[in-house]
Amino acid sequence: MKNAEIHETAAAAKFRSERGSRLIKQIVKRYDLYLMLLLPIAWYLLFHYGPLYGLQIAFKNFNPGKGILGSSWVGFDNFQRFFDSYYFWRLLWNTLSINLFSLILAFPIPILLALLINEIKSKSYSKLLQNITYIPHFISVVVIVGILTVLLSTNGPINMLIQALGGSEIRFMESAGWFKTIFIGSNIWQNMGWQSIIYIAALSGINPQLYEAAKMDGASRMRRIWHVSLPGIVPVIVILLILDIGQFMNIGFEKILLMQNNLNLEASDVISTFVYTTGILKGEYSYTAAIGLFNSLINLTLLLLVNRFARKTSETSLW
Amino acid sequence: MAKEVVTKGPSDERWFDVIVYLIAAVIILIVLYPLLFVVSASFSDPARVLNGEVWLLPKGVTLEAYNNILHNDQIWTGYRNSIFYTVVGTLINIVMTLLAAYPLSRPDLPGRKGLMLIITLTMFFSGGLIPSYLLVKSLGMVDTMWALIIPGAISTYNLIVMRTYFQSSIPWELQEAAHIDGCSNWRLLVSIILPLSKPILAVMVLFYAVGHWNAFFNALIYIRSEHLYPLQLVLREILMISQSTGVDGGNVGMEEKILLSESIKFAVIIVSSLPVLVMYPFVQRHFVKGVMIGSIKG
Amino acid sequence: MRKQWGIATISTMLIAALVLGGCGSGSGTKNNAASNGEGVAEVSKDGFPIVQEPVKLKMFTRIAPVNGPFKDMPVFQDYEKMSNVQVEFIEAPTDGFQEKKNLLFASNELPDVMYRSGISPLEAVRYGSGGQLIPLENMIEEYAPNFNKLMEQYPEIRASITTPEGHIYTLPGIVTLGSARTDKIWINQAWLKKLNLKEPQTLDDLYEVLVAFRDQDPNGNGKQDELPLTARKGLPIVVLMSGAFGLDQQFGYNINIVGDKVEIWMGNERNKELLMFLNKLYTEKLLDPELFSHTEAQFLAKQGTGNTGVFFDQTNNNFLPIAGQYTGLAPFEGPHGDRLQSQGAPVPRDQGAFAITSVNKYPEVSMRWIDYFYSDEGSTLLRFGREGEHYELVDGIPTYKPEYSTAETQPKITPYAGGGAPHLISDYVASYINPPQVQEAQKKMDPFMPKIRYAAPMFDEATAQKVNTLRNDIDKYYEEQSTKFIAGALSFDKWGEFQATLKKMNIEELQQIYQEAYDKMEK
Repeated sequence: MKNAEIHETAAAAKFRSERGSRLIKQIVKRYDLYLMLLLPIAWYLLFHYGPLYGLQIAFKNFNPGKGILGSSWVGFDNFQRFFDSYYFWRLLWNTLSINLFSLILAFPIPILLALLINEIKSKSYSKLLQNITYIPHFISVVVIVGILTVLLSTNGPINMLIQALGGSEIRFMESAGWFKTIFIGSNIWQNMGWQSIIYIAALSGINPQLYEAAKMDGASRMRRIWHVSLPGIVPVIVILLILDIGQFMNIGFEKILLMQNNLNLEASDVISTFVYTTGILKGEYSYTAAIGLFNSLINLTLLLLVNRFARKTSETSLW
Repeated sequence: MAKEVVTKGPSDERWFDVIVYLIAAVIILIVLYPLLFVVSASFSDPARVLNGEVWLLPKGVTLEAYNNILHNDQIWTGYRNSIFYTVVGTLINIVMTLLAAYPLSRPDLPGRKGLMLIITLTMFFSGGLIPSYLLVKSLGMVDTMWALIIPGAISTYNLIVMRTYFQSSIPWELQEAAHIDGCSNWRLLVSIILPLSKPILAVMVLFYAVGHWNAFFNALIYIRSEHLYPLQLVLREILMISQSTGVDGGNVGMEEKILLSESIKFAVIIVSSLPVLVMYPFVQRHFVKGVMIGSIKG
Repeated sequence: MRKQWGIATISTMLIAALVLGGCGSGSGTKNNAASNGEGVAEVSKDGFPIVQEPVKLKMFTRIAPVNGPFKDMPVFQDYEKMSNVQVEFIEAPTDGFQEKKNLLFASNELPDVMYRSGISPLEAVRYGSGGQLIPLENMIEEYAPNFNKLMEQYPEIRASITTPEGHIYTLPGIVTLGSARTDKIWINQAWLKKLNLKEPQTLDDLYEVLVAFRDQDPNGNGKQDELPLTARKGLPIVVLMSGAFGLDQQFGYNINIVGDKVEIWMGNERNKELLMFLNKLYTEKLLDPELFSHTEAQFLAKQGTGNTGVFFDQTNNNFLPIAGQYTGLAPFEGPHGDRLQSQGAPVPRDQGAFAITSVNKYPEVSMRWIDYFYSDEGSTLLRFGREGEHYELVDGIPTYKPEYSTAETQPKITPYAGGGAPHLISDYVASYINPPQVQEAQKKMDPFMPKIRYAAPMFDEATAQKVNTLRNDIDKYYEEQSTKFIAGALSFDKWGEFQATLKKMNIEELQQIYQEAYDKMEK
């Protein structure tokens, strides 16, 4: 057996070559690994796959008195109702656009922050920066929205500053035009420090000799970042990007719900808030189950596409 | 770092440092301002906060809000519960995630891809609230603390991160060598993998613990008894009262309650965030140390 | 490889689904016909105790943030001894109540009784026809004499709780006290006096008064910081002012009934005038610029400062320390001579406050239990507690002792605080919420109250579902656009488009449904 350069793929290849009659032997030999998996897999089956039968209510007119199985089938009526709804296109557009802008703006910022922190030579200063940027993550969304409302209200500090500079007051919270900016901006504010943790960890794992070598070659700081730091964390970036895109349609509905009002609804009405207000609060379970299913399908499609793309281009993928 | 810098002039390096420090300073200010505002507001006369008079420093300094909180049993019960949920919940999370992530990181495990697919799919489909509720109910966990711990025992996202770490950061040859020495997989996990996994464990503890501390939706759904409420739900109730509108008639006392909530809300925010903030530096030391030993490499 | 795993997974899933499906759907639809028998024999039709042998009932209820535990309230302690019915309350806090209530039904985890539960008409029909709530109509006459009497006195009660099939699934909270159903118009009379102005009677008067409040510095601090007009967050202002344009609020909706014709007036030209008027107030900063964003707390704070010209609220409780500064107004007369108090709750005000579920073994006992609270005597016990301990009779009317008229103590002794409890609110029990100043304000409104105010009607399940689907879209659109019209975010050039969209959303079909409901009621 050549164990010189064992790598995941090599091991897998070896495993494949031994497949067939030895498969059973392989499995038996690693029975204790399955033993470890027993509990988690049982948990997945029970708590994730168990309730899946509930998806059928998307195709039914769910009547709690009759139970899930006893309710009558209605085919694609619930889906039809959603597609025909006056709000369908608006919901879809808002959901997509908020996520798209988030991905473009909010995804790279933790990476940039990590790179910045990595470049700070003073240990105490970089620690200070890290510690301060983490803090907002610990604050719950209810509170964040509370702070936003006060800061951005017509007699709040931001508007006072604008007026002092000769501008006229802006009703940030009651304007569709500002909604996405505020939503994404505050998300960045809250999470950039936290999300940079993984990148900082990855950066600190890069072999210092690589930097020394680059320096010897006369590479400037920017070039070192570009040619050493960044490539060092690309696999992490790719995995996180895939996961993010997989969650593309799921935006924190709580925060949007709290920020929502009739004046910004045009920009803030998204699928998840719609599901919450019509489903859980008004008890329209079948209708919202259909919407949820539609949402999941989009997510899954995106994930499969991105994962395939990632596997082809960077050899990193989820499975 | 070496004093003599090769080829590029020292001034270039210096300028780069200055810019880096400046950007960092700006970030610190932006992040800090809203936080300072909350702190100031918590020490201020609530009426002046509502009128928008407070913008940086407290106006009409008062400790009334903190005094109110000190005498609020609900908040202290919530505190105790949240600590319990966080500690026990995180412990279970770590054990379960580890048990799943390690075997799945092994390239020689038959069926690994299928299992991974099963697990990943759960990120996209869920049966929805009703079937989940029925399940928790049939397990007899409604209105018990287990409803907040067991259904969320594994976060698939964290599982994937952990598995990626095992795959990429722990040399496979090490594990094979151990095998040849006749080491069982359990022994391998406990005495070789775990010691090498401190950084990822630190990250996981942090992720899960903060998640537990801030979670409230499951409690909103599954918990009825107020003595089981986590702190976040108490907090939410206090904050939601001041959001509530159009109270109908026969609501004596509601106004006072609303105004009281309004006056203590900033202080409640501080008090509820404090434990995590105070704990953080301690956890962080281990965390950074762990990260230095080895980290998530490609 | 993957195939095998797939099969394994699917079969596991199927098994899990079958097992769980079994838990989910079974056990729920118990037939209550059989269990009825147990209760009937023992229940006495009048007098107390209701039953000789103690009976236990589980009630699911909403507990408001101001309340203490229900078991500590004098009303339930005393009533248990009196009636021999032991009640175990399952309390769910107001925040998250709606979710928990729906989950109870959805998971068939039913209590015996839903108490102070705010069941909407759609929910009542859905859960009633699904067999989870039992019909009450046949028990009312025999076991709920007080409620029956109220139904005879106020026909709109029956109309609002009876489904087209003739079933009654829930009982509402009843408000016969007129002033508990309206928001008064409070004006700062100190400012009027100072600026030498008369109480405004018409909308034009109102406009002039508001302008004066804004410009002439009635608070005398030399700054233009007065707030001329405010109201609760959002669109309540539309409902409060629509009467001046001849727009009524029937069936709990934007509906006029003129000569047996039901009209949804949202796309009506009169509504355009109303919105234009509000838009004028808003752009000229006469109407609170924070109208669409301020919280309840901020609104209440504005009442208490004395720096507000005009606002709307049911009582003077929220500005008691400076109550003398304000006085009530009659509704304003509009440009076409309309003068109507459009805002106002119907007599059956709190819908779905009480219901009996299919697992209840003693429906008749439950009915008798609740009926007591639809009498003055029962309502007094509920609202005031024990005579001598919590209240005294002053001029023959129950009045809280001073230690129980504070906002801290009072809600702990009564479930009326926090709203929505199933009971009767009459003049007799209203000493606290209807002080002279409020009575006076109500008196000014009385001549302009509509003759009858219909509550939201009950539809059969299919129609209710239809109404729900239609209104989901329409209401959302209407609220959003109205807000924009008022705030000036949408020009009135778009009015035609607004009307066209309402039409596209089938507002006429909705109108037809309400028309049919009205016709059925009048037959």
